[in-house]
Amino acid sequence: MRRVGEKLIPVLLSTPVAVLILCLLWIVVSIGGEGIQALNWSLLTSSVLEGGIFESIVGTLYMLGGAVALATPLGVATAVYLVEYAAESRLNHLIIQAVNNLAGVPSIIFGLFGYAFFCRFLGLGVSLLSGWLTLVCMILPIIVSGSVEAISMVPTSFREAALALGAPKWRVVKDVVLPAAAPGLATSVILGVGRVAGETAAILFTSSVYLMRGLPSTVLEPVMTLTYHLFVLLVATPGGMTGKPFAMALLLLGLVVSLNVLAYIIRVYYRRRW
Amino acid sequence: MEETLKSFDFLKSLRRMDWVKLILMTIASLSIVIVLLISLFTISESIPAFSSLGLDLLLGDRWAPYYGRYGATPLVYGSLIVVFGAVLIAVPLGVLSAISLAEYMPRKLGEVVKLMIELLAAIPSIIYGFLGMVFIAPAITKLFGISLGRTALTGSIVLSMMITPTIVSISSEVISSVPREYRMAAIALGATKWQVIRGVVIPTALPGIAASILLAFGRAVGETVAVLMSCGCVAKIPSPPWNLLDPVHTLTAAIALDMGEVAMGSMHYHVLFGLGVILFVITFSVNTAAWLLMRRAPRRLIKV
Repeated sequence: MRRVGEKLIPVLLSTPVAVLILCLLWIVVSIGGEGIQALNWSLLTSSVLEGGIFESIVGTLYMLGGAVALATPLGVATAVYLVEYAAESRLNHLIIQAVNNLAGVPSIIFGLFGYAFFCRFLGLGVSLLSGWLTLVCMILPIIVSGSVEAISMVPTSFREAALALGAPKWRVVKDVVLPAAAPGLATSVILGVGRVAGETAAILFTSSVYLMRGLPSTVLEPVMTLTYHLFVLLVATPGGMTGKPFAMALLLLGLVVSLNVLAYIIRVYYRRRW
Repeated sequence: MEETLKSFDFLKSLRRMDWVKLILMTIASLSIVIVLLISLFTISESIPAFSSLGLDLLLGDRWAPYYGRYGATPLVYGSLIVVFGAVLIAVPLGVLSAISLAEYMPRKLGEVVKLMIELLAAIPSIIYGFLGMVFIAPAITKLFGISLGRTALTGSIVLSMMITPTIVSISSEVISSVPREYRMAAIALGATKWQVIRGVVIPTALPGIAASILLAFGRAVGETVAVLMSCGCVAKIPSPPWNLLDPVHTLTAAIALDMGEVAMGSMHYHVLFGLGVILFVITFSVNTAAWLLMRRAPRRLIKV
């Protein structure tokens, strides 16, 4: 009797796992099914004014590009400082705590803060730049914690070898540690990109508009993004539940899923080289 | 001799002042500055609301901002009931999956399964909101024979999909780091695999599992767009209060919906920041509690 019970347990326990995987499949199929029908070249390339989504796609890329370009150096530098320069110091402890706190802040609070600080206090208005800066605050903890992990995986012997050759510390970091940690750094940046791509709440009132003519020509102009456009489309127009929203959701889903799978592949491929 | 050496050291250190370190330190301190700025600006923008409304903002039972009624109770209650519903679904699903992943699945399979589950967490909240609106809400309407499908329950179901991965990935990690020695001791006493799990592994991993649940809770409370789109946004405490089939409004949804429309510097504007402060206090305390619990989670005694 007990033997039978022991054998049944793994089967019973895999039911919730199956439920979760079915959820994922259900999401992909229900969005993908209609999305793939609605998705076509002219939708992607024609302007929003003609019923397309071109500006929101490019706007999303602007958003991603800027936020990640700003957050990556800051995040990696923070990680280098934490791992390579600051041993058990009080400041180190404070920084780690700050990063952990940032990671737990809800994105809508980043939106509120971004509006009060970047848009109003610094006078940047509802703009691409305000959105970038808000998103930088949001993805900084993702990049820092990923990079800290990647950098601390680099074996001490690498550093010792370089130091023994007479390299100064910063050369060791620049020429030995960072190249060795590169795949891990890339993973953390990709995860940051994924987070930005799907973000809505933080850019709701810092940088996005539902409709505008053309693309922003300076960073002080607002921008259209896939997430915000989809949000307004869904919340404001209860009738429009076919076609275009599905196509946009599919694009977002595809982007985020492929970024995460890419990050996973890099992580697995480069794991335990040492 | 000592003195000369010391002053020599000092001069040397001055000349070789580590600029790189100084720059890196400045950049690293940015995180602290951001946290301080977020607290400063969210709190200072909410002060007019708290000072003129006082406790009414927290305890007032009517949220009708366009009529000058700013009671946050229905919103706080709405947030909590949706999240409790979600946690109620997510905990059994997540904890059992974590046990299965950490203890029973072959490593390779487990990794792929874990990736798929973590993908659930990576999917943008707007997509969950979309699903909630377009698929789950109509299903709820049909299933329970009610007229409006956007209810607290709809929100809970949507949220549960979003937060279960947090429980799974952290709990499975904690479960697999229960020291081998503990298991071997139990096996030596003749325990079967399940007895080891139930009697040794789970109790040891319990603080970590609890921490993962708290983190999931924190994430759920702060979730905005998915909840906004699936909960109905009616700022009323359901009757009876545990009725999950009534629409509710949440703190996050109220901020997101109203912020675009308020007049700058109006009472409504400051009240929204007040809601932000309430939200921040909730998530901050939940996350801190999780962090304190996590410190009691097991670590491997001997690295194998």
